[in-house]
Amino acid sequence: MRVPADPARAFEAFTQDIALWWQPDPLFRITPHGDGTLRFEPGLHGRLVTRLGNGETFEIGRILVWEPGRRLVFVWRQASFSPDQSTEVEVRFEPVGDETRVSIEHRAWDTIPPEHAARHRFPEPVTLQRAANWWRASLAAFKERLAD
Amino acid sequence: MSAHGLDRTLAALADPHRRRVVDLLRERPYRAGDLAQAARLPFPTMSRHLKTLRQSGLVEEDRDALDSRVRIYRLRSEAMAELRTWLAETDAMWARQLTSFKAHLQKSRK
Repeated sequence: MRVPADPARAFEAFTQDIALWWQPDPLFRITPHGDGTLRFEPGLHGRLVTRLGNGETFEIGRILVWEPGRRLVFVWRQASFSPDQSTEVEVRFEPVGDETRVSIEHRAWDTIPPEHAARHRFPEPVTLQRAANWWRASLAAFKERLAD
Repeated sequence: MSAHGLDRTLAALADPHRRRVVDLLRERPYRAGDLAQAARLPFPTMSRHLKTLRQSGLVEEDRDALDSRVRIYRLRSEAMAELRTWLAETDAMWARQLTSFKAHLQKSRK
C-alpha cells in the first residue's frame, strides 16, 4: 500500500494516530468488549494497548522493534488467545519517490512457552522468518494441490 | 473458526521436525518407521512427534491393510485449510486497515 507521506511521517501517523484510523473488524475482535481505542506506547519495549468502553485497558502486545521511518514489530494477542498463543505483526516503511510503501506481515508461527518468554523480548529474526516462510510456502503449495 | 484448533495447529508446527513430517506427508502417506528414517530420528522420538501432530488434527493414523501392527500416517486437509483461512482473513483485515490508514494520511495532508 502506497501512502502520501514520507517514511518518517508515515511511521509517526501509523503509531501516534492509530486511534484515528483503526477500523474495528467483526472477524478480528480484539476483545469481547470490542476493539476500544488503540494506542502505541512509543519506543522499544513499549506496548500496544487499547482502552475499552468500560474503562479497562487491554494489552495487545509488546513492541519488539521500533525503528522510526523503517520498521515496526509488535506482538499481537487477542483476548480470545490462550495464554501461550502469540502472533507477531511486522510493518515496513519503504520510500517510493516522496511517498511510502507500507507493508504488513502478520505471522503466527508458534506458541511460546512461558520459560521462553525472553525470546519474546529478544526475538531471533532468522528463526521466526524461516518459520513464517515455511508457512507461506507450505500453504501456497497446499492450495495448488487442492486445486489440482 | 475455532481458535483452539488453530492454536494447537500452530503449536504442532512450531517444531522443525514436525514441519519436516508435514512436508513428507504432503507427498504421500508414510509408515511411522519410514518417517523416522526419512527424518533421521529415533523411532520413539518420531512417535512423540506423531502423537502431537495427531492431537493437533494435522495428521491421521490408519492401520496397514496387510499388517495391522503397522501404522500409516497421512495429512488431514482440514487443519491446513483452517490455517489458510486464518491467513486469508488476517491479510484481508490488514488490507482494510491500511486502506483506512491511507485515507487518514490523505485527509491530514489537506
